[in-house]
Amino acid sequence: MTLAAMLLLILIGFLAGGFGALAGVGGGIIVTPLLAIYFGLPMHQAIGVTLLCVIATSTATSSMYVERHVTDVRLGMTLELATTVGALIAALVAHHVNRRTLAVLFACFLLYSAGSMIRKAWDSRNKKREEVIPDYTPQNYPAGLAASLIAGGFSGLLGIGGGPIKVPVMLLFMKVPLRVAAATSNFMIGVTAGTSAYVYWGRGDVRVDIAAPLVAGVFAGSLLGARISPKIRAFYILMLLVCIAGWLAAQMIYKLLTGGFQ
Amino acid sequence: MSRQDVAADRVLSLTLKFGAYTAFALIVAGLVLQFVVPWAMKVTTAGLLVLLATPVLRIIVACLQFLRERDFRYALVSFGVLAIVVLAYVLGVQG
Repeated sequence: MTLAAMLLLILIGFLAGGFGALAGVGGGIIVTPLLAIYFGLPMHQAIGVTLLCVIATSTATSSMYVERHVTDVRLGMTLELATTVGALIAALVAHHVNRRTLAVLFACFLLYSAGSMIRKAWDSRNKKREEVIPDYTPQNYPAGLAASLIAGGFSGLLGIGGGPIKVPVMLLFMKVPLRVAAATSNFMIGVTAGTSAYVYWGRGDVRVDIAAPLVAGVFAGSLLGARISPKIRAFYILMLLVCIAGWLAAQMIYKLLTGGFQ
Repeated sequence: MSRQDVAADRVLSLTLKFGAYTAFALIVAGLVLQFVVPWAMKVTTAGLLVLLATPVLRIIVACLQFLRERDFRYALVSFGVLAIVVLAYVLGVQG
């Protein structure tokens, strides 16, 4: 690999990790399409590499959320029973799903994520941060476990974290405060992505030369991002991410219509 | 009462930090060394393997924390998660 390509990958990782940590969303949705569209990686390899970026973001940022006692470790561990099963099954199945189908699913998920980020941006605009976490007891574990199974499935299939699926369910059905739900989802993502990453790694779908510079960038970006995130308003970053996600979805759809992703 | 456990959180956070910084250091070292020595890829790969091992390590640490607190229910839950992840590893390697 050329030095320029390596530096570009570090930069992509840095921005994905940094924006992800600042806005409280995973950067995975950006990395996979960039690799598939502009670096010409087959979808399976793009997903395999992204899984490592997702583990890096989760590990770097959740160390801080756990330290600040925002993460509900018991709840996270319980829901991981479902996310890991979903991730394992999906990672085994993904190998037999053809690249175009994966690209279609990914484009759909990009649009869904863009929608949920618009909502999140709108909420962050007029609502003050809850400084103290209110007392709560998680309700409705079946709903949480079901959502986690689906989120884990998407994670194994598309290399994403699955936050946009888990967080709303934890918030609305399990009655967990938003900050706790977001931090706990983030905490679970490392183990979930790890489960599918083992399958991808074992199959040789993780390119070390591409993953290494990306992961280095992601680490630097998300460590920095998580440190300064309490001081920054997420609104503009979220809107920027919405634009990027929209653009990438359009690119993927265009490439699909013109016969790409073979 | 808060559901978050201060002492256990500290150990868990340190585990995650240890994994993150070790992986980061190895990967950066590998990326720099690749312009100098031919075996640099091994250092980079080691970094990625540390990254992959960190989630497993944090499940084990959490499981031990629950055992120490005599919270057997969640120790069992952690053990269940660990079993699934190990199964994924075995299936992946056989891939």
